[in-house]
Amino acid sequence: MAILAVFAPGEIIDKYFNLHYGLQYLPHLLYAARLTILLSLVGEFFGIIIGLAMALMRLSHHRLVRAPAVFYINLFRGTPLLVQLMFIYFALPFAGVNLEPIQAGMVGLALNSGAYVAEIFRAGIQSIHRGQMEAARSLGMSHAQAMRYVILPQAFRVVIPPLTNEFVALLKDSSLASVILVQELAYQMRALASATYNLTSYTEAAALYLIMTLPLSKLSDYLEKKLKVVKR
Amino acid sequence: MSSPARPDNAHAPFDYMVEVVDLRKSFGDHEVLKGVTLRVRPSEVVCVIGPSGSGKSTLLRCVNLLEQPTSGHVIIEGVDITQAGVDINRIRQKVGIVFQSFNLFPHLTVEQNLTLAPMKVQGRPREECVNRAHELLRRVGLEDKIHAYPDSLSGGQQQRVAIARALMMDPDVMLFDEVTSALDPELVKEVLDTMKELAAGGMTMIVVTHEMGFAREVSDRVIFMDEGVIVEEGPPEKIFSAPEKERTRAFLSRVL
Repeated sequence: MAILAVFAPGEIIDKYFNLHYGLQYLPHLLYAARLTILLSLVGEFFGIIIGLAMALMRLSHHRLVRAPAVFYINLFRGTPLLVQLMFIYFALPFAGVNLEPIQAGMVGLALNSGAYVAEIFRAGIQSIHRGQMEAARSLGMSHAQAMRYVILPQAFRVVIPPLTNEFVALLKDSSLASVILVQELAYQMRALASATYNLTSYTEAAALYLIMTLPLSKLSDYLEKKLKVVKR
Repeated sequence: MSSPARPDNAHAPFDYMVEVVDLRKSFGDHEVLKGVTLRVRPSEVVCVIGPSGSGKSTLLRCVNLLEQPTSGHVIIEGVDITQAGVDINRIRQKVGIVFQSFNLFPHLTVEQNLTLAPMKVQGRPREECVNRAHELLRRVGLEDKIHAYPDSLSGGQQQRVAIARALMMDPDVMLFDEVTSALDPELVKEVLDTMKELAAGGMTMIVVTHEMGFAREVSDRVIFMDEGVIVEEGPPEKIFSAPEKERTRAFLSRVL
């Protein structure tokens, strides 16, 4: 009987698409979405810095330089982001590291995306023909100079589309930070629903995530096509 | 004994610009160079010919340590560069190399391709480098392409830019690794002409090539390599007209 009730059209609209609650929720959800964007941007920014460093270490000829990067990448790609966030927020305080939820969320997202970005950069660097490195080195450039002036500028072009995709994934994954009490979009979505027993906040939050991710996915497709043409 | 050391050379006078002594190189179990000894005098043009897989390119790439020799010595202007502690980045500035696949930097203009290394490696001022770039591009007939990107140039033009780029470092030796093999036939001549001019100007050159006409006409000495060893060497007229070894004859009969 309860199931039948859910399928009644009037009931559905009232529960999931309620205009009254929708308008009431919207400012709260938009405010929370700002936090989602902030989390994702900070995560991506530091993720890129960490990822670039890890990718360069990962490609080193010295085992002692390579090993920590391999360990890092395996650790953060091989464990769930949810576990990483909870570890940082709930477990680290016992080691004397106390972070605010938002700080823990940023650290977790940055460390996690750093591991994925490292692999994106590694693939990008390795996609540059080895003749480029040889040409640079044969002109007397050091390995570091060749990387900086010849390899990385070309690799950056290659990695822009996958980096954009990674950012989309990160933005969605930032919702996991709700579990460690970061008051971002997913957190606010649940909080509003449980306060009012109306589910329109779920619909609205889903729509807001789409509004944020779809243009980015489109941008990624566009860049992929455009950069391919340039590269021929 | 002549002493061809230039004023900018800090070390002792030397007889040979490049000396390769008992050079061996293995890739895994496969020995590509089986003890090669080669001495090149200043201003000498040496062409290395031989079937593919004979180790010619590997030999050339060992001369500037793009490949690390398994054993043996490479001595550039009297300095053994296979010894530990040698600043290979400095040595490589004296040894220019041009590749079969051009390897121009596609994200940079022709001018930037030429000026990048002298500015960053030698710390020469930008203006001086740009002037020198113009001068060298004029010599290879491409001054009007200075602001073009490599993608927009023909293979022959790209290869001439690559030669100019190597010359920007003012090298004492130039290595050419099958530089015309990737070119359409009608573009080969313009590259060979540039190389002839360079040879006429007194540049020391080691040229790995399949262009027998070029080897015969331009080189002072021809080296025939097969299966990782130098089979025969001598002046071009002797190698091409009266080769002593059966393997040399067999190879030449196939390519000429």
